[in-house]
Amino acid sequence: MTGVRQARCDVAVIGAGMAGMAAALFAVERGLSCIQVGNSGGLLFASGLLDLLGVQPVADGRLWQSPYEALAALAREEPDHPLARVDARSIRSAFERFVAALGGAGLRYVSLGERNRKVLTSIGTIKTTFGVPLSMVAGVDALETRPPCLLVDFRGLREFSAVQIAATLGERWPGLRHERIEFPGCEALPELYAAHLARALEAGETRARAIALVKPLLGEARAVGFPAVLGLARSSEVHAAFEAGLGVPVFEIPTMPTSVPGLRLSGALEAVMSARGVRRHHQATVRGLAFDGGGGTATLDLEGISGGERVSARAVVLATGRFSGRGLVADREGVRESILGLPVLQPDSREAWHQRDFLDPSGHGINRAGLRVDDAWRPLGADGRPAWPRLYAVGSILARQDWMRSKCGSGLAIATSWAAIEQVARELRAAAAG
Amino acid sequence: MSSTIFFSTLYASLVLCALGLVWRVSAWFRLRIGPDARDVASSQRVAAVFRGAASALFGSRALRLLGALFLDVLLLRKLFASEKLRWFGHLLVMVGFTLLLLMHALAPLVSAKLFPGYQPTLDPYLFLRDLSGAMVLVGVALLLFRRRADFPQPRRLIDWAFVTLLLIVVATGFVFEAYKIASPRAFYRMTEQFIGSTDRKELEPLRAVWASEFGVAFDDLKQPVDPALLQQGRKLQQDSCASCHSKPTSAFVSYPVARALAPVERMLDAGRANEWLLYLHVFACFLGLASLPFTRFFHVVAAPVSLLVNAAAQNRAFSTAGRASQRALALDACVRCGICDARCSVAPVARYLENAYLLPSHKLVATGALAGGRLLRPGRENDASPDDTHRDEARRVAEGAYLCTDCGRCTSRCPVGLDLADLWRAGRDDLAAVGLPPPEQWVQARSALAWAESLEAGSGQHPLADADAAFAPLSADRRSFSRCVQCQACTNVCPVVAHSIDAEHGIDLTPQKVMNLLRLGLRDLTLGSRMVWDCASCYQCQENCPEGVRVADIMLELRALSVHRLGALRGRREPA
Amino acid sequence: MKYALFLGCKIPAQLPAYELSTRAVLGHLGVTLVDLEFDCCGYPVRDVSRDGFALAAARNLALAERAGLDLLTPCSCCFGTLRHAIRFLGEDAALRARVTQALAAEGLAWSGKSEVEHLLSVLAQKLGIDAIAAAVRAPSAGLRVAAQYGCHALRPSDVTGIDNAMAPTLFETLISVTGATPVDWPRRLDCCGDPLHQANTALSERMTQAKIADALESGAEAICSACPHCHLRFDAVQADSADPSIRTLLYTQLLGLAMRLPAKSLGL
Repeated sequence: MTGVRQARCDVAVIGAGMAGMAAALFAVERGLSCIQVGNSGGLLFASGLLDLLGVQPVADGRLWQSPYEALAALAREEPDHPLARVDARSIRSAFERFVAALGGAGLRYVSLGERNRKVLTSIGTIKTTFGVPLSMVAGVDALETRPPCLLVDFRGLREFSAVQIAATLGERWPGLRHERIEFPGCEALPELYAAHLARALEAGETRARAIALVKPLLGEARAVGFPAVLGLARSSEVHAAFEAGLGVPVFEIPTMPTSVPGLRLSGALEAVMSARGVRRHHQATVRGLAFDGGGGTATLDLEGISGGERVSARAVVLATGRFSGRGLVADREGVRESILGLPVLQPDSREAWHQRDFLDPSGHGINRAGLRVDDAWRPLGADGRPAWPRLYAVGSILARQDWMRSKCGSGLAIATSWAAIEQVARELRAAAAG
Repeated sequence: MSSTIFFSTLYASLVLCALGLVWRVSAWFRLRIGPDARDVASSQRVAAVFRGAASALFGSRALRLLGALFLDVLLLRKLFASEKLRWFGHLLVMVGFTLLLLMHALAPLVSAKLFPGYQPTLDPYLFLRDLSGAMVLVGVALLLFRRRADFPQPRRLIDWAFVTLLLIVVATGFVFEAYKIASPRAFYRMTEQFIGSTDRKELEPLRAVWASEFGVAFDDLKQPVDPALLQQGRKLQQDSCASCHSKPTSAFVSYPVARALAPVERMLDAGRANEWLLYLHVFACFLGLASLPFTRFFHVVAAPVSLLVNAAAQNRAFSTAGRASQRALALDACVRCGICDARCSVAPVARYLENAYLLPSHKLVATGALAGGRLLRPGRENDASPDDTHRDEARRVAEGAYLCTDCGRCTSRCPVGLDLADLWRAGRDDLAAVGLPPPEQWVQARSALAWAESLEAGSGQHPLADADAAFAPLSADRRSFSRCVQCQACTNVCPVVAHSIDAEHGIDLTPQKVMNLLRLGLRDLTLGSRMVWDCASCYQCQENCPEGVRVADIMLELRALSVHRLGALRGRREPA
Repeated sequence: MKYALFLGCKIPAQLPAYELSTRAVLGHLGVTLVDLEFDCCGYPVRDVSRDGFALAAARNLALAERAGLDLLTPCSCCFGTLRHAIRFLGEDAALRARVTQALAAEGLAWSGKSEVEHLLSVLAQKLGIDAIAAAVRAPSAGLRVAAQYGCHALRPSDVTGIDNAMAPTLFETLISVTGATPVDWPRRLDCCGDPLHQANTALSERMTQAKIADALESGAEAICSACPHCHLRFDAVQADSADPSIRTLLYTQLLGLAMRLPAKSLGL
């Protein structure tokens, strides 16, 4: 309607999940201008925990205490796995930068180190992960040492049950108690939602009342676990207040999606993008992506912004994710890549998509479908050559990985984005010089 | 005209007028507009007026009253601000009519006392009388010529009749005067009375002068007139007539009419036009007087009172009793000029929805009808009457009332200074009290389930009927919501859900539940839900949805759809 | 720079100071404001008729188009409404046809030429922060201000196109340039509750109070709004108490004071 806006940038990032956000972050940190399209939907489902690599090989379900040792094993056993193609030093730097940026936006993580950590989940299982938010780290310690501990849940918050957790852990943690309290102010409601509780706890008065409800229940407990509702934007402050008020270490337990840590992550990353001058287009879709033959400029036609926008970019990063984000689309015939129709590495036939046993630990063929990329992280076209000299693909859209079973989702996203942006920077520098 | 007839008809008209005035004025104390007025007794309202008048007249505000009287009532300051042409026309009618009333109709009481030697046939009175009459005619013409409105006020027969009467009064006045100017009969009556003769030959000189310079249409005058005769006649004129008669040429309307009447003057004389023209003129006046309180021209009484009352009340701070009367007064003081409609903020919507009741002038009439019990016949609670047309009318009134944006333009432009903003508020409360509250209230009076059951029983329509598609396109298209994966992101970011901690008034369906019902094809269950009307349209849901579902857009569509579909159900008899 | 000033219904009726201060500030910054015979943007009509709302909005857009001007509005609700109408008319051809016909009956037409701009983005992006900084004579010495954008100015971002709707900084930057200190407050992007104040007064009041409490707890001394609805809502909810907890300011007043414009011209 109103005229199509024109915009230019160095890097256009399509996708705003973990990989897209990481790519945009790394780009601006290298002084590249960036426009990012996509809603942070996938991030809302995140648990707040940053996995690097937890399981290798997937078929055996072997857990590793050191992600870097697991990576070494991965490099030996699956050299074509995307993570195997990024060197360990780059992965360390990438994670450090990412977590530092989150910290700058108020979402603090425990210093990363070399080891994986074990975290209690809201159904009582134990998850192996790498990056842990500060508000959850006391839980890692508690899980290790198993002191007398109290788990608190809120009546009405259906997605979290302290009873359930305690029951699942059973005799493995004898000193684990559970208590249920009313959330202050919500006594009349049958059903509560985590995000509302988190926001409410940012008000000092509500917080004080909640703490006052828990304190008499402490007993012998030397740590207290809550569902992850301790604040939304001010989680550090709320967490610290709880610890001060209860006098013992307090930890959050990650909850089901859409979870508060996911909202925190999304909020923090949006704040980072905003602060670093990344132009964001939520809920816009890429209607067209075209490349000029000379290899200089890509043109994205964006729809869903009043009037539409046409972006000219010198490089494009495809971080569109898999099926839920519609980076990949599956129909009865096969899997296709949704924006450019790039060839997707996939099982030969539809029948080979799945194993007979749905819960087969080695996973299914369809999970490893995705885009093939060259050493410079550029997706290959039908002829086996890069589709475009400065088109890159990162994150879960890549082939030959099963991030859910490997417990390497964040690692995949952050590491591949780092590596790809390194390529972008190199390319653009070379183009400017030559 | 015999003085018995004259005075008896005058008194009868005065009595009728007085009765009418009493009846109309009493309405100011009887009509209850607004819930706060219901608890005030009429006697309290009368008392409040006396108190207010006393304090205004004998206090510091007396000066303000005087100012209002002069600027607003006499000089029509507010009208001047709004529409200058209208103001001019109105001023002409006001001044012209007042002069005619005081100087002509009440001449024996006013003019004769003020001006010794007053004679209606003398200048400047002769000229002024014609001028006044002309002013009235021109003024009325200007006022009748108005911009074509999209929704003009319906004009009642009695109002047209009154205007016609007024025109008859002025017209007969002119014609009667013209007749008398040209009438030989009148001439002879004068000469008989003041000279003592009606002999044509003796009066020849005088007749010559009166024919040539005073327009009398003698049919037996010797032509051409002898100049010596004229000379003689002029001297006679000086002696006998001039003290009472100026040249009728200054009657710039009647004189030309008199010249035009010359050919038929004899017929008129023979037909005793002096009598029936006078009867016509006088009876038209008396009829107008008697009927005034029953027409919209009662505003000549009500509008000044309203202006003065508003001027007297400082900052429009009325007591409850005073306010109750002021509202009823406003209904009468409205002159139906339509200036309020001209710049109404929602006038374009009125045109599009074809509902005149969005416009102030129509809302005012409806407010009065509602207060007077004429809008709705008593029916069941929550219903208008079972009769379809009546119910539709009432619903249209309600739609108009609730689409008002309270922008205040009508109030600031009203030339009579009516507090329309207050009337609209009171009117809305009155509508709610008779079972026509705003949609957010009547929808939430029943549960979503109850509404859904009524829809099923009453409509016989497939839930995804085409008719709704134009109204609510996203809700009618599966593709809008089929991607919903029930992740609850929308519910988690919704401030309405977050703050609905009161279970009784809390929401019944969260946003993701609404989307789920749509996915299940159960849209009818959503229409009556609280969420649909409690949605704050903050768009957090839509902004955060991972699947790009336009949650808020759909919610607002459901809202409009609920008014449309559930509104059609209201008042319908429930199936047995 | 020339715009048709779209005030909407709320400002002239209940917040004339916003109109006064907007004219004063923009006039001082060299922006010409033209007054056309605008009517209601259509916001309340959307509750009962999608067509009526689209027409009401389109008519205003057509008036601006006829005058060859873009619209500038200081009201976030009007801004969002007009832009929503543009979106609906763009995606629904049948609606567009009906509205075009209705407009033609009045001799008006709308072809999508006129843009709708919010006061904040005109200030920050069209005029530019530097131009505004240059006009500031008397910076506000650190007054701690909580910025209230108004939901309809930000969301949905594909309609409003203002800043990053999830982490906007535009208003905070504008506040800084006046010398005041913008505070970070967790509930800053929450709805003020105004749209509900008739449908559900209790709920609306809770929403407003939560925001005020949050602003105070974050150290704010005043809430600065870019929408008359929000501003009036904060005032209304504090009207009953003798001692209002937090000041309410309009941005144009804050900026006007910093530019040393006479207080009377700002409606103060």
